[in-house]
Amino acid sequence: MYAQVRTAFKIEAANLTSTSKYTTLTPHKGSITSRIVRIRAAASRKAIKAAAFQTSSKRDILPAGPQVIEGTANDPAPVPTPSPTHGSYHWTFERLMAISLVPLTIAPFAAGSLNPIVDAALAGAIVLHSHVGFQSVIIDYIPAKRLPRTRALFWWGLRAATLMVAIGFYEFETNDVGLTEAIKRVWTA
Amino acid sequence: MASLVRSTTRLLPSTRTLLRPPHLARTYATVEPLSNLGEAMSASQHPTPESKTSTIPEPSKDKESKIKTFHIYRWSPDTPSEKPKMQSYTLDINKTGPMVLDALIRIKNEVDPTLTFRRSCREGICGSCAMNIDGVNTLACLCRIPTDTKQETRIYPLPHTYVVKDLVPDLTQFYKQYKSIKPYLQRETKSEDGRENRQSPADRKRLDGLYECILCACCSTSCPSYWWNSEEYLGPAVLLQSYRWLADSRDEHKEERKSMLDNSMSLYRCHTIMNCSRTCPKGLNPGKAIQEIKKSMAFT
Repeated sequence: MYAQVRTAFKIEAANLTSTSKYTTLTPHKGSITSRIVRIRAAASRKAIKAAAFQTSSKRDILPAGPQVIEGTANDPAPVPTPSPTHGSYHWTFERLMAISLVPLTIAPFAAGSLNPIVDAALAGAIVLHSHVGFQSVIIDYIPAKRLPRTRALFWWGLRAATLMVAIGFYEFETNDVGLTEAIKRVWTA
Repeated sequence: MASLVRSTTRLLPSTRTLLRPPHLARTYATVEPLSNLGEAMSASQHPTPESKTSTIPEPSKDKESKIKTFHIYRWSPDTPSEKPKMQSYTLDINKTGPMVLDALIRIKNEVDPTLTFRRSCREGICGSCAMNIDGVNTLACLCRIPTDTKQETRIYPLPHTYVVKDLVPDLTQFYKQYKSIKPYLQRETKSEDGRENRQSPADRKRLDGLYECILCACCSTSCPSYWWNSEEYLGPAVLLQSYRWLADSRDEHKEERKSMLDNSMSLYRCHTIMNCSRTCPKGLNPGKAIQEIKKSMAFT
């Protein structure tokens, strides 16, 4: 029964743009609601067929999913298990990293000297900073509960990209002129 | 016994008519000829001839009237397959109260009784009439109707909420989240004299700007982070309330409260967008409260 309702919502969701809002009803076995859902599903299947002849542009925006309430309306929302490594420590580390980037960026140009250790520190900080930043974007826009596979894809994609950037920086630092020198040469303004 | 008495009195009139002689019987309303009565009999009052009478003119349109158009979001659960639509209503705002809620109530009373919205106190203390007016989440009872009649006012329900009907959003998740932060005093030790838990005026002062929140959900529904992750992120209103108990000198479960927030989603989805502080109809600053929580959790 529940699976049937879910498919009904999926079909209906396919017809709605992200701006449409609708509430869902909690269906009970053999209730009027379940019948309505079945009728609605049939109607929306027709609508999908009709939509193929529409001239207006198709908008593939993620529709709002059905409203999911865990437990009854009187239960408190579930509290996640505390993990400071993803919470307060992470936040503090993120801020310290962002702050440390400011002197690391300015120092080589202000001092006029090209210390390979400072250069390597700058490259490492950029890699970590951008990795954490992109992680935040993925957490915001790809909810793990609703889209677990997409989330995993992007999560590992980001890790692969970060690894590639890190290897690239390592090669550039060891076999080429280094980050600061490259910027100095490119920056002709 | 009483019913017996009543039934006997009901029976009495019918028996009485049988006993009453015909000449004592009451006369009922009769129609007398018109010539015997009123105007026809009086010498001073002659009926006005038709040539000398006139009709009262129809009320003309008031030149002073200020007609304002309101576009209001409509969606009914009775017809779930119909898409939500905007319906337009016009009102003379000279004859309407100054606030948007007055206009809504007047539309509901005089134009369209099917228009649905929440309202209660009409003075910004209950938080029922939170809605999106001209693109800003606010309380309809605290929002003045813009007097410029050329500009049309658009009213939507709170953004990114599941709509129950018209301007009524479903706030179940919001209230469940509020419940999850345990919004009450948690304390094991009794006060020394066994009476109230007292606090100094300075400690009380720390709660100013926090206790005034009426949980209207204007700030939470204006927050993009809350739009995307309302299942897990608590949102500015609930976090402000969480800080209200973290800042309370009488509460003894501060560490537990902090550990409830110490994860990736509950608190740290706040990216200081500050829509919350900008939209708050009570002039509070939920963004600052969230910063205070982050600060207190960062260096401990």
